[in-house]
Amino acid sequence: MFGLVGRAVESLYYVCVGLWTVAKHTGRAPITKEFPDTMPDLPGAFRGRLALAVNPETSEHLCISCRQCERVCPDKCIDITAHKSPETGKLELIDFKIDHGLCMFCGLCTEVCPTTCIINTNDFEMSDYSREALIYDLKKLTLTQDESAHYFSKKYLPIPKPKPKPAPKPAAAAAKPADGVAAPAKPAPPAAKPAEGAAAAKSAPAATDKPAGDAAATKPTAEKKADDSKDSEKEKAAPEPSAAEGKAEPDKTEG
Amino acid sequence: MNPAVFEIGKFARLTVIWLSIIFGAVWAACWAVGVFAPALINASGMPTETASLASEVLRALVPVVAVAVFIPINAMFMVLCERRALALFTVRKGPNRVGPDGLLQTAADAVKLLFKEDITPHGADAVMFTAAPIIFFAPSIIGVLPLLAAASGNHELFRSVNLPTGIFYVLAIASIPVVGIVMGGWASNNKYSLVGALRSAAQAISYEIPLVLSIVAVCLMAGTLDVVKIADQQKDSLLSWNIFGGGALLPYVNLVVAGLQGNNEQVQAIMQHFQAQPLGPFAAVLMVVCCIIFFGIYITGACAEVNRIPFDLPEAESELVSGYNTEYSGIKFAIFFLAEFTNLFVVCSIASIMFLGGGHAPLPGLEQGFTEMLGGILKQLPGSKEIFSPGWLINSLVNPSTVSQAFWIILKTYSLVIFAILIRATLPRFRIDQLMAFGWKRLIPLSLILLIALTYLRELV
Amino acid sequence: MEGFPQLTTWAQANVEQAVFYLLAVIAIPLAYGVVCDRNIIRSGFLLIGVFSTIAGLFILLSAQFLALAQIMIYGVGITLVVVIALMLTNPKAEKESMPALSIHKGPAIFVACFLFMCVYLALRSAENWPVKTDVAALSAAENLSRIGQSLLTNYSFHFEFASILLLAALIGAVMLAKAEPAVHDLNELSANEDKLKSSERADDVVKV
Repeated sequence: MFGLVGRAVESLYYVCVGLWTVAKHTGRAPITKEFPDTMPDLPGAFRGRLALAVNPETSEHLCISCRQCERVCPDKCIDITAHKSPETGKLELIDFKIDHGLCMFCGLCTEVCPTTCIINTNDFEMSDYSREALIYDLKKLTLTQDESAHYFSKKYLPIPKPKPKPAPKPAAAAAKPADGVAAPAKPAPPAAKPAEGAAAAKSAPAATDKPAGDAAATKPTAEKKADDSKDSEKEKAAPEPSAAEGKAEPDKTEG
Repeated sequence: MNPAVFEIGKFARLTVIWLSIIFGAVWAACWAVGVFAPALINASGMPTETASLASEVLRALVPVVAVAVFIPINAMFMVLCERRALALFTVRKGPNRVGPDGLLQTAADAVKLLFKEDITPHGADAVMFTAAPIIFFAPSIIGVLPLLAAASGNHELFRSVNLPTGIFYVLAIASIPVVGIVMGGWASNNKYSLVGALRSAAQAISYEIPLVLSIVAVCLMAGTLDVVKIADQQKDSLLSWNIFGGGALLPYVNLVVAGLQGNNEQVQAIMQHFQAQPLGPFAAVLMVVCCIIFFGIYITGACAEVNRIPFDLPEAESELVSGYNTEYSGIKFAIFFLAEFTNLFVVCSIASIMFLGGGHAPLPGLEQGFTEMLGGILKQLPGSKEIFSPGWLINSLVNPSTVSQAFWIILKTYSLVIFAILIRATLPRFRIDQLMAFGWKRLIPLSLILLIALTYLRELV
Repeated sequence: MEGFPQLTTWAQANVEQAVFYLLAVIAIPLAYGVVCDRNIIRSGFLLIGVFSTIAGLFILLSAQFLALAQIMIYGVGITLVVVIALMLTNPKAEKESMPALSIHKGPAIFVACFLFMCVYLALRSAENWPVKTDVAALSAAENLSRIGQSLLTNYSFHFEFASILLLAALIGAVMLAKAEPAVHDLNELSANEDKLKSSERADDVVKV
């Protein structure tokens, strides 16, 4: 009998302790992040949209076209087009496509990348109007120098050494036909595309003049969203089908 | 400023705004039907017989109008209040998008629910499926009527709903909703619904006994079933509330007060009274303890009766999808939802009338002071007896004692509602066998023992 | 309806009878449904409706307390327990074992007519069943206290006897619900044992 009363009093006491603990929480500031208005402060290891980084100091593209990411990807969502440069005998990146509709954000490609070129950004707002728009090409994937610097510091990545430059090359020199050199199965890329790809790889002027919203995750805004979708709308019309089919080559010239 | 204080301030502002909307609307509707319309009829040149009959019909309709206006708005507010308060307790913000501060969130939800498709599942008993929400909801409308008389301070418009068997009526009506639950659960042709309904019935039948016994204890102390009388017996102060023994401690407090004041004659008089009852102080303290435990039993039983956490087994999401209302959608689901919150409000208002002194202030001078102050202000106004003049309008609209009583009962009832929300934020759900064991092996014997103890202690005080 | 003298007299003159017939119109089909509905659970729910209309009749007779007790105890409590008991049993098995209704039709009609005659004659003899005399004089509170007093004085034996009946029912329910194997289970058990004993593994059974 007394044991019962004691137990009742004890359990009542603990219920009261619980109630008081919960009631005390009223005095805390809410942890709610009102998402569209304020951006959540995500940790550096957050695995968001994939992107290609440039060297934060020299702004040269870090990709060496080793295709390790392409091989390790479980979803086969990465598609790299590269060829061996006839001048230097080194692999030269022509295009880099990631289908974010297939990607499952496992982060294996970032693990395997020898130059920490491919990274997971903190950007997660990728909704779009079509599946094709989720296939990002080299231009959309490459980060600016500032963004790369941001992610390198946020993820505590070591700053890579600059590539040894054999000889400064004009951008137009890269614009050569590359049939069957690197990817025999792939159709010939048109003239304008390798020019751009090479430019991005070597001197990276393209990275700076593309729209800021393309890969920006540092200061995302509502305008950025609109900009992004507009941009992808414009892009999805021309380059993606041609890359997959190898047809409609005239279209590419304007891309 | 500390953002937490900011959030609490927002919650308080929202509560005040909503409560003034609710009670302003009820007040205005009652006044329009009970005072203004009869005056209008009398002023028009109708024959006297017809006019007085018509105005009596209108005045008799006032309680019904009050309830019909009150329940939907109140349930909408309680949903919002619950969500915001839960957010406060769990360090979140809660709904804050629709309207200023999320004020219109539940209105939007209600509109959404009304426009949703009303689905009757294949193989369901259509008639019973439709009847179940009605049977669930109707008692909460007709059950609150006697409480209105107590809540309005026995205002003349609400005097007609004050039944001599008041609290018994409320309890009898409050036992009906479980029929709706069982009916809905069975008619849904869904095993989850059926299991939810059976659990609900078992739980309601088990926990109704301690609930009713705690109410019986209060009626025993009060010597009546009339809610207005029970509320009036507790009007003196905090100590005469039934939760504190219904005035058992009052003479001893008076003794201490008289002793401190040095009023020897009064001390003598009280001491003489005590000599007749030597066990008095001991019995009084025990009685207070009994009453506080009874209040706890009532709150527990009430939580079980209205299926709230930690007794929400009938709609345990993790086990039964949504319990008895799994198959309901659209307006029928809205009615279930509405009735659940109204039932919570009803049990809380029963508790505040039966245990917490109804519409009376906790301190003796408070109520009278307020009434006199408001009366003084009203007298300052241009008070002319002439019908439809501004003075008549204000005087017929504002009754100082009713305002005070309504204020206190709203405060007490919503404090209990927020306490129920705090319980919901704290305690996990019972398991069904624990629930039954707790009800039958603990609460029922405890309340029976306490009831017998109380009958004897009452004689000793 | 204190405080509304005119309304009360008007209602007594005009509405009361209408309400009585309304209740009758609701109650009789519901009662018919209780007897004739093939779905036994639905007829249980209809029974709740019948009890509720009878509570309405009590209110017409100014017996508030009785009406409320009718709702609380019969309408909700007992009927709900019956309905739940029906839900937990297997209605299909019952149906198969039940004899056809037509066999009992004749005796049933006879019994019903006999009971109806009894009730009708009893009600007709006005001196034994005084009908509603000046109820308005007896307020509901007095009504209540009078019920209480007569239950504990004049009718205390009946009251206690009813409680003994309930106690017996309770004990019976406990006996039924006790986790003992039913008779046919026992028979099966012993049959199994016999079979096992005759087989080679008789030793194992002894051990068990």
